[in-house]
Amino acid sequence: MSLPDRPRPDLDRDSTPWWEAVRRHELLLQRCDGCGTLRFPPRAVCGRCRSREAGWVPALGTGRVASWTVSHQVFMRAFADEVPYAVLHVRLDDGDGVFMYGNLAGTNPAEIEPDMPVEAVFADVDHELALVQWRPR
Amino acid sequence: MSFRDQAAIAGVGYTPFSRNSGVSTLTLAIDAITNALDDAGLTVDDVDALATHRVGDSTPPWVVAPALGIPEITWYLDQFGGGSVSHAVIGQAAMAVASGAARTVVCYRAINARSEFRMGGTGRDPAPIFDAQYQAPYGHLAPPQQFAIFTRAHMIKYGTTHEQLGQVAVGQRANAVKNPRALKRDPITLDDYLASRWIAEPLRLLDCCLETDGACAIVITSAGRARDLPVRPVLISGAVWGGGDSFFSGQGGDFTVSEAARIAPRLYAMAGAGPEDIDVAELYDCFTYSVIVQLEDYGFCPKGEGGPYAASGATRLDGALPVNTHGGFLSEGYVHGINHVAEAVSQLRGTAGDRQVAGAEVALSTAQPGYVLAGTSALILKADR
Repeated sequence: MSLPDRPRPDLDRDSTPWWEAVRRHELLLQRCDGCGTLRFPPRAVCGRCRSREAGWVPALGTGRVASWTVSHQVFMRAFADEVPYAVLHVRLDDGDGVFMYGNLAGTNPAEIEPDMPVEAVFADVDHELALVQWRPR
Repeated sequence: MSFRDQAAIAGVGYTPFSRNSGVSTLTLAIDAITNALDDAGLTVDDVDALATHRVGDSTPPWVVAPALGIPEITWYLDQFGGGSVSHAVIGQAAMAVASGAARTVVCYRAINARSEFRMGGTGRDPAPIFDAQYQAPYGHLAPPQQFAIFTRAHMIKYGTTHEQLGQVAVGQRANAVKNPRALKRDPITLDDYLASRWIAEPLRLLDCCLETDGACAIVITSAGRARDLPVRPVLISGAVWGGGDSFFSGQGGDFTVSEAARIAPRLYAMAGAGPEDIDVAELYDCFTYSVIVQLEDYGFCPKGEGGPYAASGATRLDGALPVNTHGGFLSEGYVHGINHVAEAVSQLRGTAGDRQVAGAEVALSTAQPGYVLAGTSALILKADR
């Protein structure tokens, strides 16, 4: 793994708390105070009820594989030593319509199956940044 | 609302397509615009508006206009965005003409997508896409990777197969064989497709469009004025754009339905036509899968049956719905949407040579169907009789 060479996330004012939580190895979601909808990625406004009030709640940290890809082409030089590698699109168990991406951990891409149960694990890039990964459970 | 049939396409122009144009995107734009004006029987002095779309990879109208010596620009559009907005640029130009804001608009797209700005991401910084922060650190950003996820979702839900994807590539290559402008003119078989290397599973090399240097331009003026010009006008009967969900909005979790499904009813209503009226369809084919999902979402087959429909031969030149008659982005070249419009015009003029669809009167031309950035756009064009 060449984690430090990877593109770093371009944080914005809505996403910074989420990334800071990941650095602490916590997976958070926003929950709208107006209608209770769970929200990801972070936004200042609820798209359902337009409330600007929201809090952060811990995600269950589990989900199922909705889709995935295995990259063979070296699209970014930082991944030259990692191909072929998998990126998962995970439907979180917390509720409908909440998805996150992340790399596969703990097994190889040939083992991925539709709807495979996975759980979030954290990979430290350095003392300022960690990334979410997903491993079978 | 309607500006149905009020604006027309009066000319199309190309530069050669290549892997290295050797010139700037400004020069490409000027060459394509000049060729389009020649085709229309117009001159630079007739132009009062320019429109383009770009993602930080091309030359804007306010640079092209003085470089070309356009006397005065009364309206221009410098639309941020990729393939999904390609047909919105044409539609907005038609609105500008219909409203009187402009008399003669040239829409262009000029890119050195192989020699300068590869969308594959090799060596280039990540594009300024808002939600890239949730993908790029995982090595997930390039278009083939995004579409691989969508393709897989469709395979899981509907059983779409590699062979069905391959039939899209094979069929379009057969069309490109008949297109002197196409970059890839050697026929391919399904075996060739299945033997091509993985790019991002489940997508192979031959699922992917061609990174291309080139430009294409479209001249738009009023239908009345176009009828006084030497070539037969092609009417802009339907032009819509819009959408709602983005790939990561948290609301658009079902990747098997594209934004085309959302805009199709408005498009057909504006044009006063339905899927059964379409004689030829140029469907945005950044990847084979986008053709399959659009066959469904524009109503040519039931949802989930785009793969079998494409594999049935229906989309071949001699089929019920000829699709991507020039070979598409997979085989002609990729000018980010606009060469689909130009091919539709050729078909409706009846000047498409060996690949002409007999009696083509109504064409659908579409943009990237709304994955990645929310929204899509599309046109229904009709031959003027």
